[in-house]
Amino acid sequence: MAASLADAVAALAERAGEGAPLAGATWIMRAPLRREPAASAYVGIARIPELRRIDIDDRSVAIGACVSHAQLAAALAPHAECRALAQAAGHSANPAIRRMATVGGNLSTSAFAAADLVPALLCLDAEVELQIGGTGERMALQRFLAHRTSLEPGWLLNRVIVPRRPRRSAHVRLPLRRAGDYPVAIVSLAVEDEGAVSVAIGSVEPVARRWPALEAALKGDALDPVRAAARAADHLDGFNGRAGIEAPGWYRVEVLPVLVGRAVAALGRPA
Amino acid sequence: MTALTVNGEERASRSGPMTPLLDVLREEFFLTGAKAVCREGFCGACTVHLDGEPVASCLVPLGAAAGREVRTVEALAAGGLSRLQQAMEDHDAVQCGMCFPGMLMTLTDFLRHTPAPTRAEVKAALAGNICRCTGYERIVDAALDAARSA
Ligand SMILES: Cc1cc2nc3c(=O)[nH]c(=O)nc-3n(C[C@H](O)[C@H](O)[C@H](O)COP(=O)(O)OP(=O)(O)OC[C@H]3O[C@@H](n4cnc5c(N)ncnc54)[C@H](O)[C@@H]3O)c2cc1C
Ligand code: FES
Ligand code: FES
Repeated sequence: MAASLADAVAALAERAGEGAPLAGATWIMRAPLRREPAASAYVGIARIPELRRIDIDDRSVAIGACVSHAQLAAALAPHAECRALAQAAGHSANPAIRRMATVGGNLSTSAFAAADLVPALLCLDAEVELQIGGTGERMALQRFLAHRTSLEPGWLLNRVIVPRRPRRSAHVRLPLRRAGDYPVAIVSLAVEDEGAVSVAIGSVEPVARRWPALEAALKGDALDPVRAAARAADHLDGFNGRAGIEAPGWYRVEVLPVLVGRAVAALGRPA
Repeated sequence: MTALTVNGEERASRSGPMTPLLDVLREEFFLTGAKAVCREGFCGACTVHLDGEPVASCLVPLGAAAGREVRTVEALAAGGLSRLQQAMEDHDAVQCGMCFPGMLMTLTDFLRHTPAPTRAEVKAALAGNICRCTGYERIVDAALDAARSA
């Protein structure tokens, strides 16, 4: 159990790629069920005070990597422009898991396609702060997702920064039951007051991503659920759905227009 | 050795730091209330309170519980059945009982924070507690009753 960020970085460096951070442990503790080998050592980071903070000012929301889903949902409740993220954090998994699972663990688990926070943060244009080899680096979340499997061993996700802008947003997920299991597909949507639209899709492909073709098609549109769903149906070509026990790949893609319609409906009226 | 407090008592465990807290409770301390069912965080049968909050003890490595306070279902009836336990009995809600230690730990905390819940809120709180026997309705009835009689 590391007591400070510096201790954690040093402990990871000492283990030269053989050790891994352990945050909420909800993914790591299930390694045997996935028939994955455990790392030879874990560095506990969950009690590092600076990783457990949420700092909100006029310009941004800065979320420490070890903030739990439950803490995040509670802290964001009064901030309407981050609603997609609050909904993602407040509806993922089940209540006990939301108390344990962390933001950093959700973003760092490259083998986990159904992570809820990833599309929510993508549609809100989040950036991540990393510690790599003792130096800090900040990059767009999208770039981090593309590079997280090839970063230098010993890297640590430190904070996630969400810019605050006047916007409405929503996070819509389709689990098999109403709650408790992994979503088949996720749509996160944000609309800025000037009309710019961001859409991010999770759980459909191995890694969540933005949907630029639909964003362009919806830009400046007077958003209406039925019309938005029809536009989504016109732009499904680029998706290659992943097969999985909950659903076949084609199904994950086919449900997207309905979920886009629901996300638009969930935006509610302009604030 | 890892030191932790279990049901108010200082305990020390010889198990390794990655051992699930659930196994330490059951196999080392013989507190067999918490049940090992799915071992993947889905069913809630292993729920215990860690520093006062319900968590899935199958996914808590012992090392992460070091120095913290654990309460198990065994602690609920310290001075006779709790109001919630009594309501479960009154509603004849228990069938095989496998899910119940988890149900009770989840609902005890939920009712503490939500003293006047709606039926939908009780169901949402139980999203991570699976019962294969009862169909949930009597458990929800009992929880609502326990809240009303508080
Ligand atoms: C039953 C169940 C259902 C779930 N359902 C959902 C769901 O619907 N949606 C959802 O989003 N999540 C869900 N999850 C949660 C999922 O396990 C977590 O969201 C997350 O992926 C793990 O977070 P953690 O803090 O527990 O990570 P850990 O298990 O501690 O770590 C996971 C990985 O991330 C690495 N890591 C952790 N923190 C950092 C960091 N700061 N920097 C670098 N690397 C780090 C670890 O080394 C490890 O490789 C579910 C979990 C369970 C058990
Ligand atoms: S045994 Fe822990 S949640 Fe099922
Ligand atoms: S009473 Fe049997 S699982 Fe709930």
